[in-house]
Amino acid sequence: MKKIKFFALLAGMAMAMGLTSACSDDDDVTTNNWTTYQNAVDSQVQAAKKHDKAILLVAFGSTWQMAFDAFDATKATYEQEFGDDYDIYLSFSSAICINRAAAGENTTPRNYYAPNFWLHAFGRSEYNEILVQSLQVIPGEEFNRVINYIKDFANNYLGDLDDEYLSQVTLKLGSPLLTSAEGDGNDVDEAAAALYSYCQAQVNNGDVVAFMGHGNPDNYDSYKANVRYTELEESLQRLYSKFYVGTVDMPDNYKNNVYDRMQADGVTDGTVQLYPLMSIAGDHAHNDLAGEGSDYWDEEDPDSEENSWYEYFSHMGYTAEPNLTGLLSIPAILDIWMQHTHEAVNSEGLEDYYHSMFPEAD
Amino acid sequence: MVTDNIRITLLACVAGVCLAPLWAQEETDTLRQVVVTGTGTEHLLKYAPVQTEVISRKTIESYGGRSLEDILGGLTASFAFNEGDMGSQMQLNGLGNSYILVLIDGKRIHGDVGGENDLSLIDPQDIERIEIVKGAQSALYGSDAMAGVVNIITRKHQSEGLFLDNATRYGSYNDARQHNTVAWSLGKVTSTTNFQLQHTDGWRNTSQEYAEAQVLTDSKNMTVSKFTSWQLKERLTYTPMEKLELYAEGMYNHKSIMRPRNGTHPSCDVYTYDLMYRNANASAGGKWKINKTDALTLDVDWNKHAYFYEYTATTLTDGYDPNGNFTLYFPYFAGQRNLQSDQQRVIAQLKGTFSLPQKNLLTAGAEYRYDYLNAPMRTENGSASDWTSAVYAQDEFTLLPWLYLTGGLRLCVNENFGVRLTPKLSAMFPVGKFRIRAGWGQGFKTPTTKELYYRYLHVMGSSTYYNMGNTDLKAQTSDYLSASLEYRGERLTMSVTAYRNKLHNMIALVNVPVSEIPPNVTGEYGGDGSGEITARKYENMEDARTWGVDVNLTYTPVKNLTLGGNYTYLDTKVHQYNSTKDRLVEAVIDGMAHHKWNAYATWEHQFHRSYRLGLNLSTRGSSRRYYENDGDGKPFQLWRLNTTHDLGRRDKPLTYRLEAGVDNIFNYVDRTMHPYHLGTNSAGTTVYVSFRIQFRKGKRLTIINTKNNETDEED
Repeated sequence: MKKIKFFALLAGMAMAMGLTSACSDDDDVTTNNWTTYQNAVDSQVQAAKKHDKAILLVAFGSTWQMAFDAFDATKATYEQEFGDDYDIYLSFSSAICINRAAAGENTTPRNYYAPNFWLHAFGRSEYNEILVQSLQVIPGEEFNRVINYIKDFANNYLGDLDDEYLSQVTLKLGSPLLTSAEGDGNDVDEAAAALYSYCQAQVNNGDVVAFMGHGNPDNYDSYKANVRYTELEESLQRLYSKFYVGTVDMPDNYKNNVYDRMQADGVTDGTVQLYPLMSIAGDHAHNDLAGEGSDYWDEEDPDSEENSWYEYFSHMGYTAEPNLTGLLSIPAILDIWMQHTHEAVNSEGLEDYYHSMFPEAD
Repeated sequence: MVTDNIRITLLACVAGVCLAPLWAQEETDTLRQVVVTGTGTEHLLKYAPVQTEVISRKTIESYGGRSLEDILGGLTASFAFNEGDMGSQMQLNGLGNSYILVLIDGKRIHGDVGGENDLSLIDPQDIERIEIVKGAQSALYGSDAMAGVVNIITRKHQSEGLFLDNATRYGSYNDARQHNTVAWSLGKVTSTTNFQLQHTDGWRNTSQEYAEAQVLTDSKNMTVSKFTSWQLKERLTYTPMEKLELYAEGMYNHKSIMRPRNGTHPSCDVYTYDLMYRNANASAGGKWKINKTDALTLDVDWNKHAYFYEYTATTLTDGYDPNGNFTLYFPYFAGQRNLQSDQQRVIAQLKGTFSLPQKNLLTAGAEYRYDYLNAPMRTENGSASDWTSAVYAQDEFTLLPWLYLTGGLRLCVNENFGVRLTPKLSAMFPVGKFRIRAGWGQGFKTPTTKELYYRYLHVMGSSTYYNMGNTDLKAQTSDYLSASLEYRGERLTMSVTAYRNKLHNMIALVNVPVSEIPPNVTGEYGGDGSGEITARKYENMEDARTWGVDVNLTYTPVKNLTLGGNYTYLDTKVHQYNSTKDRLVEAVIDGMAHHKWNAYATWEHQFHRSYRLGLNLSTRGSSRRYYENDGDGKPFQLWRLNTTHDLGRRDKPLTYRLEAGVDNIFNYVDRTMHPYHLGTNSAGTTVYVSFRIQFRKGKRLTIINTKNNETDEED
């Protein structure tokens, strides 16, 4: 009897241990996932392939319907302009935006695959020419990532593309909106002229026009990004003295710095027209720029990052008026991006990644 | 208006009867109540040296609570809950989950997601009683219980023979609860096997959501998510000799939380994964009763809490490409799982209780705890670990015939945060039927491995956060003071407790500049204006303070009628350095309400020897709940009616109980739009019915309360 009880106890303990060991992580994900996913992108490309040249538009991405509409319109404009020779594709670099845009019920699923998968699929489909057009505003960190995807592709980083094909394929890169800042017809001056023209009525009224850019975590690789905001302001002010360009994230160029510059220029009252300097008018434009009410205003700390530009300038003695139009929706600005695409089309392709990254460098 | 009048009338009835004169002196159950939590030794509640609140099984059964959240939220005023996606956001007197130590039979429950305990691990049908000790007053359970200890005492099979128990509860929104116990005793071996299932389809109080800078009117986000949780437990005890009891336990729990799949707005209600949890536990130990008062106990406890994403659509996430390089775009497909974190813990405890001369009762012990966090994509090195050991001693003594003192010291040694001694002192002065108690306890809580090392992208509706651990955190300390006056008569029990809890270096998740996100861990913080991410980091607050008054009352004006009520006043204040504002700011603790209350009336009558009816009318309410972001929660008051029907004779092996009730009788629904805070997430009026059948065959045993020489029958 004692033995039975002892074994019963042992069995119980074994059962307890069995229960607990049975739940070890069954991480059933294998590297097959990568192949399966890539195959799905390949199928999309094979179905869409009409030409032997492809343009890949790369944006950060969004989950907003109005942003989807803006991207769709941009893609349609590209198809009109380049569709005779190129297949046009659109890519997001934000994983969350890709995931959510593709899922959901009763909504149009959008497959904005990540750039690396698109490029790989282009390689598998053996496009002769692949042009990657950045839809970034400044040549900052995100643009770096776009370049790295091209490098990885060209270097056959997964080793499963045909090396002979890779040695022959022509790779081209269309640069961000504000890439060049020197010489005649540079991007910054072109953009300034386009914005000046777009805001003509407000300029005629004598209003202040202030743009809010995103800003870039400047580092060794992207040291020429944030300076574009300053250069754009200088260029705009050559056309009209009451233009200002600030950011959300660039040190020493926040809304309070814009205010300080306005005060120093003697612009102490009047109407301030607020514009996002971003490809689409999403969260930042609606919250950081145009947010209204107590959630966007802390009286004790006017410079607070959480205060909106609208509330800030309204409380600093101005009449603030938000204008929520993204840059992709301003035709003259989209023309500059498309001009970059034309330049890339007409180029001989990428040879030197250093110069593709910093076109002004010697 | 009509419902308001009815509510006022009902409240007046409850309050009026509560204030009625005392009648005959008849012993009530509360006088025989035994508690263990405050000191780790058994005491009659009326002699407990540390102020202890008890919710008895009888009260729980009368109330008809469907979950521990429901029970604590409805039967005490000190707790506040928000059942969310990730677990239960619980607060005790203003302090959140991570400051509340939840014990099952004296053992810590394990695992958290975002600092929130998963209380569905506790089977409400299995609760014998709940003991609540506030503040870091006990030397035994660690000093990290800065808000307090909630000790769930489960039902134990104390009979020779066989015991079978089945309870099935079903209610609105497909709320299904299943409880099964099979227990048997054969000679020196006792086995208890328990299975429980909890499920709800969840509900949506509003389809309005503020997203994309507008009010969307067709959001599919739920107020409470659909979930299914099931659990299997086994406990074996072996009593080789009269004074020695050995046990082994095992538990496995599986929980899935399902999110909407029919969303139409990628900005707020489209999800590509559900949440899944696997919890497991194995423990073994024993108790050696040296003599009537002295005993030694040893427990070794292993716990695992693994948290997965269970994908419902193709999802790109952090991972490694086929070359083994980190990528932001590793694909998962519907039906696959991805481990987010696996928290494992081993605790070994040795405790001895010894009676010493001069009426001293000494409890001394040692504890070793090892925490291991495996989070391949959520920690810098893939995993992290931490150990803490502690020794403690507590002495209960009667200094003077009218003065009972309990003093304790706990010495904690942590791998990273050094050594800290925390003293505790409680005193009780019995004056007739009055008890005056005073308590002081210091707490010491080292940052958890998650607070130190964990980092992850948290997407919640239209909000995206990047939460970061912080290896520069300092340990938190607390200083808790309380004083209470209690009257414990045969018909009326009443207590008033005032307390103040001061926390230094309190750890909280606060907003920091986006530039603090380490490079290359996520691609989500850049953006061209289309998306916005909030960076948050665990930081030490400068200081935090909570203070308040709790009032508890139970009154039995006539046999079979019990009235009860609780009220709590709370105020909180924290100072924290706001790095985005570069200054110290003052705030309240999120979720605080100044006033919370509840009241109930229970009437029971034995109509026939085979039929007993119970009626319970209860109400609970809260004033406005304050939050720093996303608006305050509205005040609310809810009413509930529960009926119990005991069928069959108690002296027969088979007994039956039917329960039926209506919750939120007046259909109050907080329809505040997403993602703003709700006062209550109640779905409005719901109904439920429950049936329980018990079979008992064999001889009942009794539990002997050694210290007070009281007998407390199991049933």
